[in-house]
Amino acid sequence: MRIGIVCPYSFDVPGGVQFHVRDLAEYFIGDGHEVSVLAPADSDTALPDYVVSAGRATPVRYNGSVARLNFGPVTAGKVSRWLDHGEFDVLHLHEPVTPSVSVLALLAADGPIVATFHTSMVRSRTMQTAYPLVRPSLEKIAGRIAVSEDARRTVTTHIGGDAVVIPNGVYVDRFARAPRRPEWLGTPDRPTIAFLGRMAEPRKGLPVLAAALPDVLREIPGLRVLVAGPGEVEQVTAGMPPGVAEACEFLGAVSDEDKASLLASVDVYVAPNTGGESFGIILIEAMSAGSCVLASDLSAFSRVLDGGRTGELFRNEEPAHLAQALLTLLRDPERRAVLAEAGRQRARHFDWSVVAAKIMAVYETVIEGRSAVLNQPASRWSRFLRGGLGR
Amino acid sequence: MTETLTWVFAVLFVLVVVAWYLTYTAARLDRLHVRLTGTVAALDAQLVRRAEASVELANSGLLDGATALILAGAAAQSLETPDEDGEIREAVESDLTEALSLALTSEVVDDLRQSGPLGVDHLERLSSACTRVQLARRFHNDAVTDVRRVRRKLVVRLFHLAGHTPMPGTVEFNDEVPPGLEP
Repeated sequence: MRIGIVCPYSFDVPGGVQFHVRDLAEYFIGDGHEVSVLAPADSDTALPDYVVSAGRATPVRYNGSVARLNFGPVTAGKVSRWLDHGEFDVLHLHEPVTPSVSVLALLAADGPIVATFHTSMVRSRTMQTAYPLVRPSLEKIAGRIAVSEDARRTVTTHIGGDAVVIPNGVYVDRFARAPRRPEWLGTPDRPTIAFLGRMAEPRKGLPVLAAALPDVLREIPGLRVLVAGPGEVEQVTAGMPPGVAEACEFLGAVSDEDKASLLASVDVYVAPNTGGESFGIILIEAMSAGSCVLASDLSAFSRVLDGGRTGELFRNEEPAHLAQALLTLLRDPERRAVLAEAGRQRARHFDWSVVAAKIMAVYETVIEGRSAVLNQPASRWSRFLRGGLGR
Repeated sequence: MTETLTWVFAVLFVLVVVAWYLTYTAARLDRLHVRLTGTVAALDAQLVRRAEASVELANSGLLDGATALILAGAAAQSLETPDEDGEIREAVESDLTEALSLALTSEVVDDLRQSGPLGVDHLERLSSACTRVQLARRFHNDAVTDVRRVRRKLVVRLFHLAGHTPMPGTVEFNDEVPPGLEP
Protein backbone atom coordinates (compact mmCIF):
# COMPACT_ATOMS: atom_id res chain seq x y z
CA MET A 1 0.00 0.00 0.00
CA ARG A 2 1.24 3.53 -0.76
CA ILE A 3 0.73 5.69 2.30
CA GLY A 4 1.27 9.45 2.49
CA ILE A 5 1.56 10.89 5.99
CA VAL A 6 1.58 14.62 6.71
CA CYS A 7 2.98 16.02 9.94
CA PRO A 8 2.30 19.72 10.57
CA TYR A 9 5.06 20.25 13.11
CA SER A 10 8.70 20.69 12.26
CA PHE A 11 11.02 17.70 12.50
CA ASP A 12 13.75 20.08 13.76
CA VAL A 13 12.44 19.83 17.30
CA PRO A 14 11.16 16.74 19.08
CA GLY A 15 7.50 16.49 19.95
CA GLY A 16 4.71 13.99 20.55
CA VAL A 17 3.12 14.28 17.11
CA GLN A 18 6.50 14.06 15.34
CA PHE A 19 7.44 10.90 17.25
CA HIS A 20 4.05 9.38 16.55
CA VAL A 21 4.44 10.05 12.82
CA ARG A 22 8.01 8.72 12.78
CA ASP A 23 7.17 5.51 14.65
CA LEU A 24 4.05 4.86 12.61
CA ALA A 25 5.91 5.40 9.33
CA GLU A 26 8.73 3.10 10.42
CA TYR A 27 6.30 0.42 11.52
CA PHE A 28 4.49 0.41 8.18
CA ILE A 29 7.78 0.46 6.24
CA GLY A 30 8.89 -2.53 8.30
CA ASP A 31 5.60 -4.16 7.36
CA GLY A 32 6.39 -3.77 3.65
CA HIS A 33 4.35 -0.68 2.79
CA GLU A 34 5.60 2.33 0.87
CA VAL A 35 5.47 5.37 3.10
CA SER A 36 6.30 9.00 2.46
CA VAL A 37 6.11 11.61 5.21
CA LEU A 38 5.75 15.30 4.44
CA ALA A 39 6.82 17.63 7.23
CA PRO A 40 8.45 21.01 7.71
CA ALA A 41 12.18 20.82 8.42
CA ASP A 42 15.26 22.97 8.11
CA SER A 43 17.54 22.10 5.21
CA ASP A 44 20.36 21.21 7.61
CA THR A 45 18.27 18.88 9.76
CA ALA A 46 19.16 15.24 9.13
CA LEU A 47 15.98 13.50 8.05
CA PRO A 48 15.17 9.81 7.65
CA ASP A 49 14.98 8.97 3.94
CA TYR A 50 11.20 8.51 4.00
CA VAL A 51 10.66 12.14 5.10
CA VAL A 52 10.19 14.86 2.49
CA SER A 53 10.83 18.37 3.76
CA ALA A 54 8.13 20.94 3.10
CA GLY A 55 10.61 23.72 3.75
CA ARG A 56 11.68 25.76 6.73
CA ALA A 57 9.30 26.18 9.61
CA THR A 58 8.50 29.50 11.24
CA PRO A 59 7.83 29.68 14.97
CA VAL A 60 4.24 30.83 15.42
CA ARG A 61 2.16 31.34 18.52
CA TYR A 62 -0.93 29.24 17.95
CA ASN A 63 -3.48 27.86 20.34
CA GLY A 64 -1.58 28.60 23.51
CA SER A 65 1.93 27.48 22.64
CA VAL A 66 4.66 28.24 20.16
CA ALA A 67 4.68 25.80 17.28
CA ARG A 68 7.05 25.61 14.37
CA LEU A 69 4.78 25.64 11.36
CA ASN A 70 5.03 25.96 7.64
CA PHE A 71 2.65 27.78 5.30
CA GLY A 72 2.44 30.18 2.38
CA PRO A 73 2.07 29.82 -1.39
CA VAL A 74 5.49 28.22 -1.94
CA THR A 75 4.69 25.54 0.61
CA ALA A 76 1.26 25.02 -0.92
CA GLY A 77 2.97 24.34 -4.26
CA LYS A 78 5.33 21.86 -2.64
CA VAL A 79 2.44 20.06 -0.99
CA SER A 80 0.61 19.73 -4.31
CA ARG A 81 3.70 18.35 -6.04
CA TRP A 82 4.27 15.86 -3.23
CA LEU A 83 0.65 14.70 -3.56
CA ASP A 84 0.86 14.40 -7.36
CA HIS A 85 4.15 12.60 -7.24
CA GLY A 86 3.14 10.24 -4.44
CA GLU A 87 -0.06 8.76 -5.95
CA PHE A 88 -1.03 7.56 -2.51
CA ASP A 89 -3.63 4.91 -1.85
CA VAL A 90 -4.42 6.70 1.36
CA LEU A 91 -3.44 10.07 2.78
CA HIS A 92 -3.07 10.29 6.54
CA LEU A 93 -3.09 13.84 7.94
CA HIS A 94 -2.14 14.68 11.49
CA GLU A 95 -3.72 17.66 13.24
CA PRO A 96 -5.62 18.78 10.11
CA VAL A 97 -6.68 22.09 11.65
CA THR A 98 -3.17 23.34 12.41
CA PRO A 99 -2.22 26.14 10.01
CA SER A 100 0.59 24.18 8.42
CA VAL A 101 1.17 21.55 5.76
CA SER A 102 -1.67 19.34 7.02
CA VAL A 103 -4.34 21.87 6.17
CA LEU A 104 -2.64 22.64 2.85
CA ALA A 105 -2.63 18.95 1.99
CA LEU A 106 -6.27 18.69 3.00
CA LEU A 107 -7.18 21.55 0.67
CA ALA A 108 -5.24 20.09 -2.24
CA ALA A 109 -5.97 16.40 -1.81
CA ASP A 110 -8.58 14.30 -3.44
CA GLY A 111 -8.87 10.66 -2.53
CA PRO A 112 -9.22 8.59 0.61
CA ILE A 113 -8.19 10.80 3.54
CA VAL A 114 -7.71 9.74 7.14
CA ALA A 115 -7.02 12.34 9.81
CA THR A 116 -5.69 11.96 13.33
CA PHE A 117 -6.60 14.54 15.97
CA HIS A 118 -4.07 14.82 18.79
CA THR A 119 -5.13 17.99 20.59
CA SER A 120 -7.54 18.08 23.44
CA MET A 121 -8.89 21.59 23.78
CA VAL A 122 -12.52 21.43 24.64
CA ARG A 123 -13.00 25.19 24.95
CA SER A 124 -10.58 27.13 22.84
CA ARG A 125 -11.32 30.32 21.00
CA THR A 126 -8.75 29.45 18.36
CA MET A 127 -10.49 26.17 17.66
CA GLN A 128 -13.93 27.76 17.66
CA THR A 129 -12.75 30.18 15.00
CA ALA A 130 -10.68 27.69 13.05
CA TYR A 131 -13.10 24.79 12.64
CA PRO A 132 -15.89 26.62 10.77
CA LEU A 133 -13.27 28.13 8.43
CA VAL A 134 -11.99 24.77 7.31
CA ARG A 135 -15.24 22.85 7.73
CA PRO A 136 -15.87 22.34 3.98
CA SER A 137 -12.38 20.83 3.72
CA LEU A 138 -12.82 18.74 6.83
CA GLU A 139 -15.79 17.15 5.08
CA LYS A 140 -13.29 15.46 2.76
CA ILE A 141 -11.95 13.36 5.62
CA ALA A 142 -13.41 9.89 5.36
CA GLY A 143 -11.99 8.45 8.57
CA ARG A 144 -11.31 10.39 11.74
CA ILE A 145 -9.05 9.08 14.46
CA ALA A 146 -8.61 10.64 17.88
CA VAL A 147 -5.65 9.61 20.02
CA SER A 148 -7.61 9.82 23.25
CA GLU A 149 -11.07 10.28 24.66
CA ASP A 150 -10.22 13.94 25.29
CA ALA A 151 -9.12 14.47 21.71
CA ARG A 152 -12.31 12.73 20.60
CA ARG A 153 -14.40 15.11 22.67
CA THR A 154 -12.65 18.00 20.92
CA VAL A 155 -13.72 16.52 17.60
CA THR A 156 -17.32 15.96 18.63
CA THR A 157 -17.59 19.46 20.12
CA HIS A 158 -16.05 21.41 17.28
CA ILE A 159 -16.69 19.36 14.15
CA GLY A 160 -19.66 17.24 15.02
CA GLY A 161 -19.87 13.56 14.23
CA ASP A 162 -17.47 11.24 15.94
CA ALA A 163 -13.97 9.80 15.79
CA VAL A 164 -12.48 6.39 16.41
CA VAL A 165 -10.17 6.36 19.41
CA ILE A 166 -6.84 4.74 18.58
CA PRO A 167 -4.19 5.50 21.19
CA ASN A 168 -0.61 6.49 20.53
CA GLY A 169 1.78 3.61 20.11
CA VAL A 170 4.98 2.75 21.92
CA TYR A 171 7.68 0.28 20.92
CA VAL A 172 7.19 -1.49 24.23
CA ASP A 173 10.10 -3.89 23.77
CA ARG A 174 12.63 -1.09 23.30
CA PHE A 175 11.74 0.15 26.77
CA ALA A 176 11.31 -3.27 28.31
CA ARG A 177 14.83 -4.25 27.19
CA ALA A 178 16.47 -1.03 28.40
CA PRO A 179 19.40 -1.81 30.73
CA ARG A 180 19.41 -0.34 34.22
CA ARG A 181 22.19 2.10 35.02
CA PRO A 182 23.89 1.65 38.40
CA GLU A 183 24.26 5.42 38.84
CA TRP A 184 20.49 5.87 38.58
CA LEU A 185 19.43 2.92 40.73
CA GLY A 186 17.98 3.81 44.09
CA THR A 187 19.10 2.36 47.41
CA PRO A 188 16.97 2.19 50.57
CA ASP A 189 18.75 5.29 51.93
CA ARG A 190 19.04 7.08 48.65
CA PRO A 191 15.96 6.27 46.57
CA THR A 192 15.71 7.85 43.10
CA ILE A 193 12.78 9.48 41.37
CA ALA A 194 12.68 10.88 37.83
CA PHE A 195 11.07 13.86 36.15
CA LEU A 196 11.06 14.14 32.37
CA GLY A 197 10.08 17.10 30.23
CA ARG A 198 10.85 20.70 29.41
CA MET A 199 11.76 22.22 32.77
CA ALA A 200 10.65 25.77 32.00
CA GLU A 201 7.19 24.80 30.77
CA PRO A 202 4.85 25.13 33.78
CA ARG A 203 2.34 22.65 32.28
CA LYS A 204 4.95 19.89 32.64
CA GLY A 205 4.62 20.44 36.37
CA LEU A 206 8.19 20.73 37.66
CA PRO A 207 7.12 23.58 40.01
CA VAL A 208 4.48 21.28 41.54
CA LEU A 209 7.09 18.61 42.17
CA ALA A 210 9.52 21.20 43.59
CA ALA A 211 6.82 22.44 45.97
CA ALA A 212 6.18 18.90 47.18
CA LEU A 213 9.83 17.97 47.70
CA PRO A 214 10.53 19.77 51.02
CA ASP A 215 7.97 17.52 52.76
CA VAL A 216 9.50 14.42 51.22
CA LEU A 217 13.10 15.44 51.91
CA ARG A 218 12.25 16.00 55.57
CA GLU A 219 11.36 12.30 55.84
CA ILE A 220 13.86 10.90 53.32
CA PRO A 221 16.82 13.29 53.23
CA GLY A 222 18.78 11.06 50.85
CA LEU A 223 16.21 11.28 48.03
CA ARG A 224 17.75 11.89 44.60
CA VAL A 225 15.60 13.66 42.01
CA LEU A 226 16.80 13.01 38.47
CA VAL A 227 15.53 15.75 36.18
CA ALA A 228 15.84 15.07 32.47
CA GLY A 229 14.78 17.58 29.85
CA PRO A 230 15.91 20.72 28.08
CA GLY A 231 15.98 24.04 29.93
CA GLU A 232 18.21 26.50 31.80
CA VAL A 233 19.19 25.00 35.15
CA GLU A 234 19.84 28.34 36.90
CA GLN A 235 16.51 29.70 35.77
CA VAL A 236 14.67 26.66 37.16
CA THR A 237 16.52 26.32 40.45
CA ALA A 238 16.03 30.03 41.20
CA GLY A 239 12.33 29.49 41.86
CA MET A 240 12.70 26.34 43.96
CA PRO A 241 12.16 26.11 47.72
CA PRO A 242 15.43 25.97 49.73
CA GLY A 243 17.11 22.58 49.81
CA VAL A 244 15.29 21.24 46.79
CA ALA A 245 17.85 22.22 44.17
CA GLU A 246 20.53 20.31 46.12
CA ALA A 247 18.51 17.10 45.85
CA CYS A 248 18.10 17.51 42.09
CA GLU A 249 20.51 16.17 39.51
CA PHE A 250 20.03 17.78 36.13
CA LEU A 251 20.73 15.47 33.20
CA GLY A 252 19.78 17.92 30.43
CA ALA A 253 18.09 16.63 27.27
CA VAL A 254 18.56 12.85 27.12
CA SER A 255 18.68 10.43 24.20
CA ASP A 256 15.95 7.83 23.70
CA GLU A 257 18.22 5.09 25.09
CA ASP A 258 19.06 7.14 28.17
CA LYS A 259 15.40 7.94 28.70
CA ALA A 260 14.49 4.25 28.62
CA SER A 261 17.32 3.35 31.00
CA LEU A 262 16.39 6.16 33.33
CA LEU A 263 12.79 4.99 33.48
CA ALA A 264 13.92 1.41 34.06
CA SER A 265 16.33 2.38 36.85
CA VAL A 266 14.47 4.80 39.11
CA ASP A 267 12.23 3.78 42.01
CA VAL A 268 9.36 6.09 41.05
CA TYR A 269 8.68 8.04 37.90
CA VAL A 270 6.72 11.21 38.71
CA ALA A 271 4.52 12.94 36.09
CA PRO A 272 3.22 16.10 37.78
CA ASN A 273 1.79 17.61 34.57
CA THR A 274 -0.92 20.16 35.24
CA GLY A 275 -2.79 20.09 31.93
CA GLY A 276 -2.61 20.19 28.18
CA GLU A 277 -1.89 16.47 28.02
CA SER A 278 -4.22 14.73 25.65
CA PHE A 279 -2.72 11.31 26.05
CA GLY A 280 0.40 10.82 28.15
CA ILE A 281 2.66 8.64 26.02
CA ILE A 282 5.44 9.08 28.57
CA LEU A 283 3.41 7.12 31.11
CA ILE A 284 3.22 4.18 28.73
CA GLU A 285 6.94 4.38 28.10
CA ALA A 286 7.52 4.37 31.84
CA MET A 287 5.22 1.39 32.30
CA SER A 288 6.96 -0.44 29.44
CA ALA A 289 10.32 0.14 31.10
CA GLY A 290 8.89 -1.31 34.30
CA SER A 291 8.91 1.76 36.47
CA CYS A 292 6.37 2.54 39.12
CA VAL A 293 4.37 5.57 37.97
CA LEU A 294 3.03 8.41 40.10
CA ALA A 295 1.02 10.89 38.03
CA SER A 296 -1.38 13.78 38.46
CA ASP A 297 -5.00 12.77 38.03
CA LEU A 298 -5.56 14.44 34.65
CA SER A 299 -8.30 12.54 32.84
CA ALA A 300 -5.86 11.45 30.15
CA PHE A 301 -3.39 10.09 32.69
CA SER A 302 -6.10 8.43 34.72
CA ARG A 303 -7.29 6.59 31.61
CA VAL A 304 -3.81 5.43 30.63
CA LEU A 305 -3.23 4.20 34.19
CA ASP A 306 -6.55 2.38 34.12
CA GLY A 307 -8.02 4.58 36.86
CA GLY A 308 -5.03 4.10 39.15
CA ARG A 309 -4.76 0.32 38.92
CA THR A 310 -1.46 0.39 37.05
CA GLY A 311 0.05 3.48 38.67
CA GLU A 312 -0.61 5.85 41.56
CA LEU A 313 -2.53 9.11 41.02
CA PHE A 314 -2.40 12.31 43.06
CA ARG A 315 -4.72 15.32 42.95
CA ASN A 316 -3.54 17.63 40.19
CA GLU A 317 -1.64 20.74 41.35
CA GLU A 318 -1.70 19.69 45.00
CA PRO A 319 1.93 19.39 46.13
CA ALA A 320 0.89 18.19 49.59
CA HIS A 321 -0.98 15.23 48.15
CA LEU A 322 1.89 14.50 45.76
CA ALA A 323 4.34 14.47 48.68
CA GLN A 324 2.15 12.11 50.68
CA ALA A 325 1.68 9.70 47.77
CA LEU A 326 5.39 9.77 46.95
CA LEU A 327 6.37 9.03 50.54
CA THR A 328 3.97 6.11 50.72
CA LEU A 329 5.39 4.62 47.52
CA LEU A 330 9.02 5.15 48.48
CA ARG A 331 8.44 3.33 51.78
CA ASP A 332 6.62 0.38 50.22
CA PRO A 333 8.78 -1.60 47.75
CA GLU A 334 6.16 -4.34 47.43
CA ARG A 335 3.49 -1.91 46.34
CA ARG A 336 5.95 -0.48 43.82
CA ALA A 337 6.63 -3.94 42.41
CA VAL A 338 2.90 -4.69 42.11
CA LEU A 339 2.25 -1.43 40.27
CA ALA A 340 5.25 -1.91 38.00
CA GLU A 341 4.11 -5.39 37.00
CA ALA A 342 0.55 -4.20 36.37
CA GLY A 343 2.05 -1.39 34.30
CA ARG A 344 4.06 -3.80 32.17
CA GLN A 345 0.90 -5.72 31.32
CA ARG A 346 -1.03 -2.53 30.62
CA ALA A 347 1.67 -1.18 28.30
CA ARG A 348 1.22 -4.16 25.94
CA HIS A 349 -2.14 -2.71 24.85
CA PHE A 350 -0.28 0.28 23.44
CA ASP A 351 2.44 -1.56 21.54
CA TRP A 352 2.82 -0.43 17.94
CA SER A 353 1.91 -3.88 16.65
CA VAL A 354 -1.56 -3.46 18.19
CA VAL A 355 -1.97 0.22 17.38
CA ALA A 356 -0.72 0.05 13.79
CA ALA A 357 -3.06 -2.85 13.02
CA LYS A 358 -5.98 -0.67 14.11
CA ILE A 359 -4.79 2.21 11.94
CA MET A 360 -4.37 -0.15 9.00
CA ALA A 361 -7.98 -1.30 9.50
CA VAL A 362 -9.04 2.34 9.21
CA TYR A 363 -7.05 2.76 5.99
CA GLU A 364 -8.59 -0.35 4.49
CA THR A 365 -12.13 0.64 5.43
CA VAL A 366 -11.68 4.09 3.89
CA ILE A 367 -10.06 2.74 0.73
CA GLU A 368 -12.85 0.19 0.35
CA GLY A 369 -15.42 2.99 0.43
CA ARG A 370 -13.54 4.95 -2.19
CA SER A 371 -13.10 2.03 -4.57
CA ALA A 372 -16.81 1.26 -4.29
CA VAL A 373 -17.52 4.79 -5.51
CA LEU A 374 -15.05 4.47 -8.38
CA ASN A 375 -16.57 1.19 -9.53
CA GLN A 376 -19.98 2.78 -9.56
CA PRO A 377 -19.28 6.26 -10.89
CA ALA A 378 -22.83 7.42 -11.53
CA SER A 379 -24.21 8.39 -8.14
CA ARG A 380 -27.82 9.38 -7.99
CA TRP A 381 -26.80 12.99 -7.71
CA SER A 382 -24.53 12.85 -10.76
CA ARG A 383 -27.38 11.23 -12.70
CA PHE A 384 -29.63 14.03 -11.54
CA LEU A 385 -27.11 16.63 -12.64
CA ARG A 386 -26.95 15.07 -16.08
CA GLY A 387 -30.73 15.24 -16.31
CA GLY A 388 -31.20 11.53 -15.85
CA LEU A 389 -33.74 9.95 -13.58
CA GLY A 390 -32.82 10.75 -10.01
CA ARG A 391 -34.77 8.33 -7.93
CA MET B 1 -26.17 56.81 -18.22
CA THR B 2 -23.09 55.98 -16.17
CA GLU B 3 -25.37 55.50 -13.20
CA THR B 4 -27.37 52.88 -15.05
CA LEU B 5 -24.15 51.14 -16.09
CA THR B 6 -22.94 51.12 -12.49
CA TRP B 7 -26.19 49.52 -11.46
CA VAL B 8 -25.99 46.97 -14.23
CA PHE B 9 -22.48 46.02 -13.18
CA ALA B 10 -23.44 45.91 -9.54
CA VAL B 11 -26.31 43.56 -10.28
CA LEU B 12 -24.11 41.44 -12.54
CA PHE B 13 -21.49 41.22 -9.84
CA VAL B 14 -24.03 40.09 -7.26
CA LEU B 15 -25.39 37.52 -9.70
CA VAL B 16 -21.91 36.16 -10.37
CA VAL B 17 -21.19 35.89 -6.66
CA VAL B 18 -24.51 34.15 -6.05
CA ALA B 19 -23.90 31.77 -8.95
CA TRP B 20 -20.42 30.99 -7.69
CA TYR B 21 -21.71 30.33 -4.20
CA LEU B 22 -24.46 28.06 -5.49
CA THR B 23 -22.05 26.06 -7.66
CA TYR B 24 -19.59 25.84 -4.80
CA THR B 25 -22.24 24.59 -2.39
CA ALA B 26 -23.58 22.14 -4.95
CA ALA B 27 -20.09 20.75 -5.55
CA ARG B 28 -19.50 20.49 -1.80
CA LEU B 29 -22.76 18.62 -1.40
CA ASP B 30 -21.97 16.38 -4.34
CA ARG B 31 -18.63 15.48 -2.82
CA LEU B 32 -20.38 14.64 0.43
CA HIS B 33 -22.90 12.45 -1.33
CA VAL B 34 -20.11 10.61 -3.11
CA ARG B 35 -18.44 10.04 0.26
CA LEU B 36 -21.75 8.77 1.58
CA THR B 37 -22.08 6.30 -1.30
CA GLY B 38 -18.66 5.02 -0.37
CA THR B 39 -19.36 4.64 3.33
CA VAL B 40 -22.63 2.81 2.60
CA ALA B 41 -20.80 0.38 0.32
CA ALA B 42 -17.99 -0.12 2.84
CA LEU B 43 -20.41 -0.76 5.69
CA ASP B 44 -22.38 -3.21 3.57
CA ALA B 45 -19.22 -5.05 2.52
CA GLN B 46 -18.01 -5.36 6.09
CA LEU B 47 -21.39 -6.60 7.29
CA VAL B 48 -21.41 -9.25 4.57
CA ARG B 49 -17.85 -10.24 5.51
CA ARG B 50 -18.82 -10.56 9.16
CA ALA B 51 -21.87 -12.66 8.33
CA GLU B 52 -19.84 -14.93 6.03
CA ALA B 53 -17.15 -15.40 8.62
CA SER B 54 -19.87 -16.28 11.14
CA VAL B 55 -21.43 -18.84 8.80
CA GLU B 56 -18.05 -20.44 8.18
CA LEU B 57 -17.30 -20.67 11.87
CA ALA B 58 -20.73 -22.18 12.47
CA ASN B 59 -20.14 -24.75 9.73
CA SER B 60 -16.61 -25.55 10.80
CA GLY B 61 -17.70 -28.09 13.40
CA LEU B 62 -15.57 -26.39 16.02
CA LEU B 63 -18.57 -25.08 17.96
CA ASP B 64 -21.14 -27.19 19.73
CA GLY B 65 -24.27 -27.96 17.70
CA ALA B 66 -26.70 -25.62 19.46
CA THR B 67 -24.39 -22.62 19.39
CA ALA B 68 -23.57 -23.28 15.75
CA LEU B 69 -27.29 -23.29 14.91
CA ILE B 70 -27.93 -19.97 16.65
CA LEU B 71 -24.94 -18.37 14.97
CA ALA B 72 -25.70 -19.76 11.53
CA GLY B 73 -29.33 -18.63 11.82
CA ALA B 74 -28.43 -15.08 12.76
CA ALA B 75 -25.77 -14.88 10.06
CA ALA B 76 -28.12 -16.23 7.39
CA GLN B 77 -30.70 -13.62 8.38
CA SER B 78 -28.10 -10.91 7.89
CA LEU B 79 -27.05 -12.24 4.49
CA GLU B 80 -30.65 -12.52 3.30
CA THR B 81 -31.80 -9.08 4.40
CA PRO B 82 -31.19 -6.58 1.63
CA ASP B 83 -29.79 -3.24 2.73
CA GLU B 84 -32.84 -1.28 1.53
CA ASP B 85 -34.83 -2.30 4.61
CA GLY B 86 -33.03 0.10 6.93
CA GLU B 87 -34.62 -0.65 10.27
CA ILE B 88 -35.02 -4.36 9.67
CA ARG B 89 -31.36 -4.61 8.69
CA GLU B 90 -30.34 -2.77 11.84
CA ALA B 91 -32.32 -5.21 13.98
CA VAL B 92 -30.87 -8.19 12.12
CA GLU B 93 -27.30 -6.97 12.56
CA SER B 94 -27.87 -6.34 16.27
CA ASP B 95 -29.13 -9.91 16.49
CA LEU B 96 -25.98 -11.22 14.83
CA THR B 97 -23.84 -9.21 17.24
CA GLU B 98 -25.79 -10.74 20.11
CA ALA B 99 -25.41 -14.24 18.70
CA LEU B 100 -21.68 -13.72 18.32
CA SER B 101 -21.38 -12.47 21.90
CA LEU B 102 -23.30 -15.52 23.11
CA ALA B 103 -21.25 -17.93 21.05
CA LEU B 104 -17.80 -16.47 21.56
CA THR B 105 -17.33 -16.24 25.29
CA SER B 106 -13.77 -16.00 26.55
CA GLU B 107 -13.71 -19.76 27.34
CA VAL B 108 -14.95 -20.75 23.88
CA VAL B 109 -12.40 -18.45 22.27
CA ASP B 110 -9.59 -19.96 24.35
CA ASP B 111 -10.69 -23.47 23.32
CA LEU B 112 -10.82 -22.43 19.66
CA ARG B 113 -7.35 -20.90 19.87
CA GLN B 114 -6.02 -24.18 21.21
CA SER B 115 -7.90 -26.29 18.67
CA GLY B 116 -5.34 -25.57 15.97
CA PRO B 117 -4.60 -23.27 13.05
CA LEU B 118 -8.12 -23.59 11.61
CA GLY B 119 -9.73 -22.23 14.76
CA VAL B 120 -7.20 -19.41 15.00
CA ASP B 121 -7.84 -18.52 11.38
CA HIS B 122 -11.62 -18.36 11.90
CA LEU B 123 -11.19 -16.20 14.98
CA GLU B 124 -8.86 -13.80 13.24
CA ARG B 125 -11.21 -13.29 10.33
CA LEU B 126 -14.17 -12.75 12.64
CA SER B 127 -12.36 -10.35 14.90
CA SER B 128 -11.06 -8.35 11.94
CA ALA B 129 -14.56 -8.25 10.42
CA CYS B 130 -16.13 -7.15 13.71
CA THR B 131 -13.65 -4.30 14.21
CA ARG B 132 -14.15 -3.17 10.65
CA VAL B 133 -17.93 -3.18 11.02
CA GLN B 134 -17.46 -0.78 13.91
CA LEU B 135 -15.14 1.45 11.89
CA ALA B 136 -17.34 1.41 8.80
CA ARG B 137 -20.46 2.27 10.80
CA ARG B 138 -18.66 5.09 12.64
CA PHE B 139 -17.34 6.55 9.38
CA HIS B 140 -20.73 6.22 7.73
CA ASN B 141 -22.47 8.04 10.55
CA ASP B 142 -19.82 10.77 10.41
CA ALA B 143 -20.55 11.22 6.72
CA VAL B 144 -24.29 11.30 7.46
CA THR B 145 -23.79 14.00 10.07
CA ASP B 146 -21.78 16.09 7.61
CA VAL B 147 -24.37 15.68 4.85
CA ARG B 148 -27.23 16.55 7.13
CA ARG B 149 -25.49 19.67 8.38
CA VAL B 150 -24.92 20.98 4.87
CA ARG B 151 -28.42 20.04 3.76
CA ARG B 152 -29.92 22.01 6.65
CA LYS B 153 -28.43 25.18 5.16
CA LEU B 154 -31.04 27.64 3.87
CA VAL B 155 -29.44 28.00 0.45
CA VAL B 156 -29.47 24.23 -0.09
CA ARG B 157 -33.12 23.95 0.79
CA LEU B 158 -34.14 27.09 -1.09
CA PHE B 159 -32.45 26.13 -4.35
CA HIS B 160 -33.15 22.45 -3.96
CA LEU B 161 -29.45 21.68 -4.35
CA ALA B 162 -29.74 18.16 -3.01
CA GLY B 163 -32.02 17.13 -5.87
CA HIS B 164 -34.07 14.06 -5.10
CA THR B 165 -31.42 12.34 -3.03
CA PRO B 166 -33.19 11.19 0.11
CA MET B 167 -32.05 12.68 3.41
CA PRO B 168 -29.67 10.11 4.92
CA GLY B 169 -30.14 8.84 8.45
CA THR B 170 -27.54 7.40 10.78
CA VAL B 171 -27.27 3.64 11.04
CA GLU B 172 -27.78 2.45 14.58
CA PHE B 173 -27.19 -1.09 15.75
CA ASN B 174 -25.16 -2.85 18.38
CA ASP B 175 -21.73 -3.51 16.85
CA GLU B 176 -19.79 -4.53 19.93
CA VAL B 177 -16.90 -6.88 19.37
CA PRO B 178 -17.66 -10.16 21.20
CA PRO B 179 -15.99 -10.10 24.63
CA GLY B 180 -13.78 -13.08 23.83
CA LEU B 181 -12.34 -11.44 20.72
CA GLU B 182 -11.26 -8.21 22.39
CA PRO B 183 -7.48 -7.93 22.28
